[in-house]
Amino acid sequence: MSEAVARRLHPATLIVRWLKIVPQLATAGVAMAVGARNRGYTSVLLFVAIAAAAGALFAFLYWWRFRYTIGAGEIVIEKGLLHRQRRVIPFDRVQDIAVEQRLLARLFGTARVKIETGGAAKDEGNLDMIGLADAHALRDLVRHGPAAAEEAPPPAEPVLFEMGLGRLLLSGLFGFSLIFLAVISGALQQLDQFGLINWSDWFTPRRADQAAHLVTLRVGLILVALVLALGTIAGVARTAARDFGFRLTRSEAGLRRTRGLFTLSEVVIPIRRTQVALIESGPIARLLGWYRLSFQTLGADRKEGGVQVAAPFARIGEILPILAVAGFPAPPPRESFHGVPRRALVRKAAPGLALAALATVAAFTVDLRAGILAAGLSALAVLGVLRWRKHAHALGESALFVAAGLLRRKLWIVPYEKTQTIRVSRGPVQRALRLSDLLVDTAGSGALRSPEMHDLDEGEAERMADRLYALFQDARIRIRSAA
Amino acid sequence: MPHDSQDEASAEPEAMTPLHPDQVKVLAVRTGLIAALLLLAAVAADLGPLRQTVLPAFLLPAAVLALGLLATLVLPRRRYRRWCYREGADELDIRRGMIVRVRTIVPFGRVQHIDVAQGPVQRRFGLATLILHTAGTQGAAVPLPGILHEEAEAMRDRIRAKLRQEFV
Repeated sequence: MSEAVARRLHPATLIVRWLKIVPQLATAGVAMAVGARNRGYTSVLLFVAIAAAAGALFAFLYWWRFRYTIGAGEIVIEKGLLHRQRRVIPFDRVQDIAVEQRLLARLFGTARVKIETGGAAKDEGNLDMIGLADAHALRDLVRHGPAAAEEAPPPAEPVLFEMGLGRLLLSGLFGFSLIFLAVISGALQQLDQFGLINWSDWFTPRRADQAAHLVTLRVGLILVALVLALGTIAGVARTAARDFGFRLTRSEAGLRRTRGLFTLSEVVIPIRRTQVALIESGPIARLLGWYRLSFQTLGADRKEGGVQVAAPFARIGEILPILAVAGFPAPPPRESFHGVPRRALVRKAAPGLALAALATVAAFTVDLRAGILAAGLSALAVLGVLRWRKHAHALGESALFVAAGLLRRKLWIVPYEKTQTIRVSRGPVQRALRLSDLLVDTAGSGALRSPEMHDLDEGEAERMADRLYALFQDARIRIRSAA
Repeated sequence: MPHDSQDEASAEPEAMTPLHPDQVKVLAVRTGLIAALLLLAAVAADLGPLRQTVLPAFLLPAAVLALGLLATLVLPRRRYRRWCYREGADELDIRRGMIVRVRTIVPFGRVQHIDVAQGPVQRRFGLATLILHTAGTQGAAVPLPGILHEEAEAMRDRIRAKLRQEFV
């Protein structure tokens, strides 16, 4: 590996890329065929054949024009047919190098290597695919330098969290999903669009009428049970495919996570780049003592919104050590949390209750059915109040803790030194009630899933903002003097 | 920190710096221009399509004119008054907002880069907007409009000098 030789990707890339391109081309081709009002199986088959040939050509051109060179301390990637691109990535700039094996890649003994440098461009370095042994050699070379790459493999990393088959299946039961309904209806719609089946032939008013007679209470219950069963199976299957062999280890650079049944993925969550920890749990799982731990990271995979799962289904006793390794403090006892003031409950309930009162009046004067609306609105108001009562925060030694959510309960841990900006805001209604929202903004947080504290007392929110800022500066000074 | 519902307007007003007084004029000119455009559109609508309806002549332009005058003559002063800032040793503290009141604290150690921007109206009055960019998500860019251009540049240089001392 010392002399720089330009290499091509693994030949299996040809097949995998071809398999990837053809469906896309075929869909486009079929859409064109439909656009030309050339419906029917023959024209569809013709377009698929054309797509297959074109796909083979594209796959070959990509493979032929893609070269990578591993030099001393850097990797050079050249690609592109007409617009050639040459990218040089020095090893000491690499933040993260991930090895991922999809199902087909595993059949061929190859892997995809993703190199991240923390820059803005996506796909900064993407070798899709090279031989598995080459992938591991490259990873070790980047992580440990040339000496380690040739020596014995590094010592085994301490395991922080592991999931056996039993736990995996159990967690799948909580992953109930109705996604299969969407998939089926989507597929039927596609077929209808391409003129391969015809909806309106299937569902005539007469047939619908006949069907309506068949739907008795018993049939309805069976249908509901069937949907529930299928949803549970889908949930288990999806969870099993994603989290099979879940393993979190402590590596030099951070937390290394490997998982996957068909697609085997390996990701390193660099500890320095973790911003916020989130412990969450649904209502039933919480009752049984199961929680999920994830970290919000800086510049991580955009697909998951910068959130990396560290333990998908774990006991609190298993989560605390992971938090400690990542440098996050454990949550304080319930007594140290402060809730929202009483008048915030008024703000939360008032609009719903006012509308419910109107609907009640309407129920008596105009139409009795408005009573249903009134009941619904009152229920919403009550839910809002219950949710607000779960909303609380605590200032810990080194981090801010924010709890939120009624059914799906969330607990954010925001270390003071990760603060980007601090924001206090109040709308007109909040002003009348002397309430304020307080947000500690962090890098990589989602707009919807952020640890914003709602409806604090106005004076306290202002004082807390000042205090949080002081704590931020203290933490920074402490870290700088420690370094 | 115990709960107490003591009512206090948290900010010591003397410590906060108001924006440059000419910012009122900048806001007024900007609003006035938009109002004038809307008025033109209203007049055009009044001469054209509205004649086909039962609406009395000049109703829409008159309404737009009244609202436009109100927005141009009254609101800028109020909006201006809601803005103030304090440049601390290591942070910028900005308060703004007429309807939704917002206070933002930006630690200089978190600033990624700084812009000094100047719109056409601001340029006529020699004012500028200082924008602090952080790596945060909500409100990653924090603007401070309506300060003298020279002052904005001086502030940028002061903050930049502090940035250089720290990283990550």
